[in-house]
Amino acid sequence: MIAYLVNLATLTTIFAVLATSLNILIGYGGIFSIAQAVFFGVGAYAAAQVALHVTPDLLVASAAGAGAAALLSICLALPALRVRDEYFVIASLGLQMLAVTVFTEATPITGGFGGLVGIPPASLLGLPLTDPNAMLAACLGFLVLVLVLTRVLMRGSFGRSLMAIRDNDTAAEALGKNVMVLKTLAVMLGCAYAGIGGALYSAQMQFINVESFTLDQSVLIMAMVIIGGTGTLIGPLVGTVLILLLPAALSFIPGIPPTEIGVVQQMIYGLVMTLLMIFRPGGLVTLRTRRQ
Amino acid sequence: MSALLSLSGLNRRFGGLAAVSDFSLALESGIVTALVGPNGAGKTTIFNLVTGNLRADSGQILLHDKPIIGLSPHRIARLGIARSFQDLRLFGHMSVLDNVRAATEPTSWFWQAGGAAARQQRRERVETALERTGLSGLTQARAIDLAYAERKFLSMARIIATGARIWLLDEPASGLDPRSRAQFVDLLRSATAEGVTVCLIEHNLDIVTEVADRIAFLDQGRKLAEGEPADIMQDKALAAIYFGDRT
Repeated sequence: MIAYLVNLATLTTIFAVLATSLNILIGYGGIFSIAQAVFFGVGAYAAAQVALHVTPDLLVASAAGAGAAALLSICLALPALRVRDEYFVIASLGLQMLAVTVFTEATPITGGFGGLVGIPPASLLGLPLTDPNAMLAACLGFLVLVLVLTRVLMRGSFGRSLMAIRDNDTAAEALGKNVMVLKTLAVMLGCAYAGIGGALYSAQMQFINVESFTLDQSVLIMAMVIIGGTGTLIGPLVGTVLILLLPAALSFIPGIPPTEIGVVQQMIYGLVMTLLMIFRPGGLVTLRTRRQ
Repeated sequence: MSALLSLSGLNRRFGGLAAVSDFSLALESGIVTALVGPNGAGKTTIFNLVTGNLRADSGQILLHDKPIIGLSPHRIARLGIARSFQDLRLFGHMSVLDNVRAATEPTSWFWQAGGAAARQQRRERVETALERTGLSGLTQARAIDLAYAERKFLSMARIIATGARIWLLDEPASGLDPRSRAQFVDLLRSATAEGVTVCLIEHNLDIVTEVADRIAFLDQGRKLAEGEPADIMQDKALAAIYFGDRT
């Protein structure tokens, strides 16, 4: 039971990094991408290759994951950010479809549909992370780093410029903001975070394949951000916890026959999500209005 | 006196419609020029041509005798031309303070250049802008939660905070109550006294008469007249066009 909970906590922490990554794009930049699982995947494959062939050190693997995802994100950002918002969504959907095919076909790098197996247990600065508790602590450490960096950047001029563009890009440009550069930086930052999430995921699972990086995963990450509350530091964390822990918690409802538990779980889960969006359309965590 | 901003022979068509035809205008330092004309006369299109949001089909725009046509809007803004919008375009989910702060930070990087001295300078510009617009007590309110007049003044505060010396104001006083209108006139006068050059589009002719040093009258993309407010206002033919009586 303890092992199950530690594993669940570790996965929740990793997905909190992913939700924070998409929050940079959606919440702060107003850039609606449904391709976040692509950058999650690129980070995971890059980190897995580093772990398999260079070093299992989580810092090195995360740097490789973040770098690979950030580099690929430029390929999406430069052409796609020139188009209007709704077209960017379509462009990101196209990238998502393309990436799944590439992940499946690029067997020498991704292992194809069978994935990459035998990823060695991670270490951190020479310390092995074979103990699940140590891995959880490492993932929490990365999450804290990502949150602190996000807070610093979003409270500074970069965050203000990004939010200005989100609220009205024409007005932001009229104040001297280079919208293309700022949006590209935001996409790179958000995707680098997703790459870190991928690196942590490959280290935790020690096996990755394309099924973890599909459109379903991108939609799940988006749901975490929107249900939790966009443009806030805490919102995506709350959304992640809710989305990952609610199904697990529903498994413990007494009196439901084991054969029916899946159906009941789906119904309650769907109902809770629908009610949340009706009564808290801005997400669970929203910015407070302060008028002096 | 040489013009700070000079527009000459500007043309811009939208398909078969000539939105701006052979338009010329010179904006001089510390002078308020009003663009007046009926709806669809091409006034906002001229602003969009100056700020780079639209590109002229032909003609020239010179800022300090240097051409700016073809530059992107953010580059033109950084050269010292600030504008407001008819629909204000505030950063609605940001606080009043952050709306104004954002106007002082043009660098598109993770941080602003210049260190502590530049930071202090930006802080002072923000304080000045908030004081002049009477928004000092509302710094933490979100822009979308402000009353209409407060939103108008927030739009002005952003322009003041940019430090730009040329202001293009698109209907800045429309919908203001008499008290706010008087506050707006004071604000404009103190800015022009400091050498700020203003070009404004305004339908309220009382405001135009009160603040403008010159008026350019437009109709269907063409400049029909330019001169002192008293002369333009007394022209019965222009009044007929303005009020829709073309018979």
